[in-house]
Amino acid sequence: MKNVIEVKNLIKEYKEIKAVDNLSFEVHEGEILGLLGPNGSGKTTTINCLLSLLNYSSGSIKIFGKEMKPDSYDIKSKIGVVFQDVAVFEELTVYDNIDYFCGLYIKDKKLRKQYIEDAIELVGLEEFKKFYPKQLSGGLLRRLNIACGIAHKPKLIFLDEPTVAVDPQSRNNILDGIKKLRDNGATIIYTTHYMEEVEIICDRIIILDKGKILATGTSDELKELAKIEEKITVEINELQENYIEDIKKSKNVDEVKYTNSLLLVTYTKGKNNLVELMEYLKENKIKYNKIYSERPTLNDVFLELTGKELRD
Amino acid sequence: MTVFKTFLKILNKNKFIIILYTMFLIFFGGFNMQTSENNTNFVASKPDIMIVNYDEEKGITKDLIKYIEENSNVVDLKKNEDAINDALFYRDVNYVVYIPKNYNKDFMDGKNPEIEIKSTGDYQSSFAEMLLSRYIKVANIYQKSINSEEELISKINETLSKKSEVEITSKLDTNILSKATFYYNFANYSIMACLIYVICLILASFKDIKIQKRTIISSTNYKTLNRQLLLSNSLFSIILWMIYVTLSFILVGDIMFSIHGIFYLINSFVFTICATTIALFIGNIISNKNAISGIVNVIALGSSFLCGAFVPMEWLPEGVIKIAHILPSYYYISNNEILKTLEIINFNTIKPILLNIIIILSFSIIFIILTNIVSKRKQKIG
Ligand SMILES: Nc1ncnc2c1ncn2[C@@H]1O[C@H](COP(=O)(O)OP(=O)(O)OP(=O)(O)O)[C@@H](O)[C@H]1O
Ligand SMILES: [Mg+2]
Repeated sequence: MKNVIEVKNLIKEYKEIKAVDNLSFEVHEGEILGLLGPNGSGKTTTINCLLSLLNYSSGSIKIFGKEMKPDSYDIKSKIGVVFQDVAVFEELTVYDNIDYFCGLYIKDKKLRKQYIEDAIELVGLEEFKKFYPKQLSGGLLRRLNIACGIAHKPKLIFLDEPTVAVDPQSRNNILDGIKKLRDNGATIIYTTHYMEEVEIICDRIIILDKGKILATGTSDELKELAKIEEKITVEINELQENYIEDIKKSKNVDEVKYTNSLLLVTYTKGKNNLVELMEYLKENKIKYNKIYSERPTLNDVFLELTGKELRD
Repeated sequence: MTVFKTFLKILNKNKFIIILYTMFLIFFGGFNMQTSENNTNFVASKPDIMIVNYDEEKGITKDLIKYIEENSNVVDLKKNEDAINDALFYRDVNYVVYIPKNYNKDFMDGKNPEIEIKSTGDYQSSFAEMLLSRYIKVANIYQKSINSEEELISKINETLSKKSEVEITSKLDTNILSKATFYYNFANYSIMACLIYVICLILASFKDIKIQKRTIISSTNYKTLNRQLLLSNSLFSIILWMIYVTLSFILVGDIMFSIHGIFYLINSFVFTICATTIALFIGNIISNKNAISGIVNVIALGSSFLCGAFVPMEWLPEGVIKIAHILPSYYYISNNEILKTLEIINFNTIKPILLNIIIILSFSIIFIILTNIVSKRKQKIG
C-alpha cells in the first residue's frame, strides 16, 4: 500500500500549550482516514501544519513522497481542502464561487466548466447555481463550501468537520458525496467529533486527545480496546436491591446500574448474555417492558482510554 | 484573469456606490454651474469690490485704488468686520481689499507689503482677485528698476492699458475656469469616497482570512494573485478617473481642451493615484465591511471640508487651513484654485502647480510604503 502522507514526530507549540504533541502517522492511498477527537484536541492545527499554513515547531511532513513546504505548488495542485469555517465570497453566486476557487487550479475554461458542473452535482446544488450565499440554508452553505474545496478533482482531500451544524438529511447527503469522492480514487482525511460519522464512512480512525494519538485502527479494532463488549438495557418499573446484587454476581458482568426505571448491565465479553439475563428475570417473575442489547461505541472506547466522554 | 473576473463581479454588486457618488458630482459639482450660467451676462459687468484703505491716498496706493475703481464696481460699506462678513455672505460684495498702513512707502522701499483680502470665493471674486494680482505683479516688476514714483505709475498704467485688449476674453475664461475649478474641487470628494469605498469593500472580500487561507493553499502563487488584485484596483481607478474627466468635458466644456484643461486633467490624475494608494492602505488595515462606510465619511468628507472642496478656502479659518496642509486634498484643491486665476502659462507660473503635484505624489509613495509595512506585519501574525 502506498502512503500519500507520512508524518513523523510533528510538534506544534503555542505559547502555553502543545496543540500537537509528537504525532506520527501515515495516510494510505485511497482510504478515508478519520481524525476523531473532542474540541481543542488539535485536529485543525494538525491539518494546518500538513498544509504548511502554520509553521510547526519540529517534525517532518511528506506528501506524495515529497517534503511539504509553503511553495510546493506541485503538491498543492493535487490537494483540496474544506475548512471548518465556511469560506466563500458573499458577492458571488454559488456557481461563481466554485468557478473562482476552481480557477485557482484549473486554467482551462472548458475543463473548468465541466469540473464545476460535476462538483455541483456531487453536492446536489443543481437548483441553487444562481443563489447567493446569503440565500442558502446552513446545510446548503456547507455543501457549497465543500464544492469550492473539491471542484478541481484533487487526489488528496482534507475535510475539517464539514458537517458541523448541519441537519441530518444534509449530513447524509454530504457523507454520500464524500464516499463518492473516495470511490473516484481520492484519498481523504476527515476530522470530526461525531463518532457516528466516523463509523459510517472512515476506513481507518485515529483518536486524538490533547494533541496526542490515543489509538489507531479500524472501527472494529478500536472497539476491541474497550473493556466492555455488550451493553444491555432493560426498562423495569420496580426492582429490589437484592436482585441488583444478584445480577452483579452473574457471569461476565462488569457493571450494573439502576436509575430512572432503567437497568443498565455491561458485560466484558461472552455470548448469550441477553438470553441469560431474560431467563433470570423470568425466573424471578420480574416484569419488564423493553429489553435491548448494544455493541460498544467509539465513545466507550474514548471513555475507556481517557476516563471522559468524547462529547461534553 | 480569475481574479480580474471576480473583481468585476464584486464591482458589479457594488455599482450603486459608484453611481451614487457620480450623481453627487453631477448634481452638486454641476448645480453651481447652473447658477453661474444664469449669470453669464455678468461677464460684461464688473465684480463688486470694497476697498478698506488704512494708508494715505497717494502714490501707488492711490493708483491701485484708481485701477480697481476703473475695472470694478466699488462698493462702500461700513468699515466694520461684522457688516463686511454679512455683505460677503449675502453677496453684496464679492471681494474686500485691505490696504495696510504705509503701503505706498513700503512698496516704494521694495518691502513687498502684503495686502489682505476677503472673498466670497465664487468666480466673480476670482475676477476681482485677478485684477488685484495683475496690478501687483506689474507694479512689482517695474518697482525693481524704476525709483521715481511718477515714472513708475505711468509705466504701470501704460502696461495695464495695453493688456486691456485681452480683457474681455480673459473675463470669459475666468468664468469658465471657475466652473472647472468648482467641478474638480467637488471631484475631490467623489474620487476619494468612491475609490475608498469600493476598493476597501473588494479588498475586504479577498483578504477575508478564511478566503485567504483557501487561496494560500491553492496551487496559484499568492503573490501573483495579489499582483492581479492590485492591477485590477488600479484599472478601476483609472476608469473612474476617465469617467469623471469625460463628465467634465460635457459639463464644463471647451476650456477642457485648452492648456488649462490639460492641467486640470494631470492634477486630477495624480490625485486619483494618491486616493488609490490611500484606499489600498485603508483596505489593508480594515477588514470589517461594516466599518467602511464610516471610514469613508470621516476621510473623504472630512478632508473635503477641511481642504475647501465644498466651500472656498478663503472662508475657512486659518487653523483649519493649517491642519489641511497635512492632507493631499489640500494640494490638489490648491492647484485647481491656482488654475482658476492663472492667466499666463510659463514655467514660473506653473512652478507652484508642479510643486503641489510632487507633494501629492510623495503622499502616494508614503501610503505605498505604509501599506507594505502593514501587510507584511499581518502576514507574520497569520
Ligand atoms: N492561534 C492559536 N494560538 C494559541 N492557541 C491556539 C491557537 N489555535 C489553536 N490553539 C489551541 O490549540 C489547541 C488545538 O486547537 P484546534 O483548533 O486544533 O482543535 P480542534 O481539534 O480542531 O478543535 P475543534 O473541534 O473545536 O475544531 C486548542 O487548545 C486551541 O485552544
Ligand atoms: Mg477544528
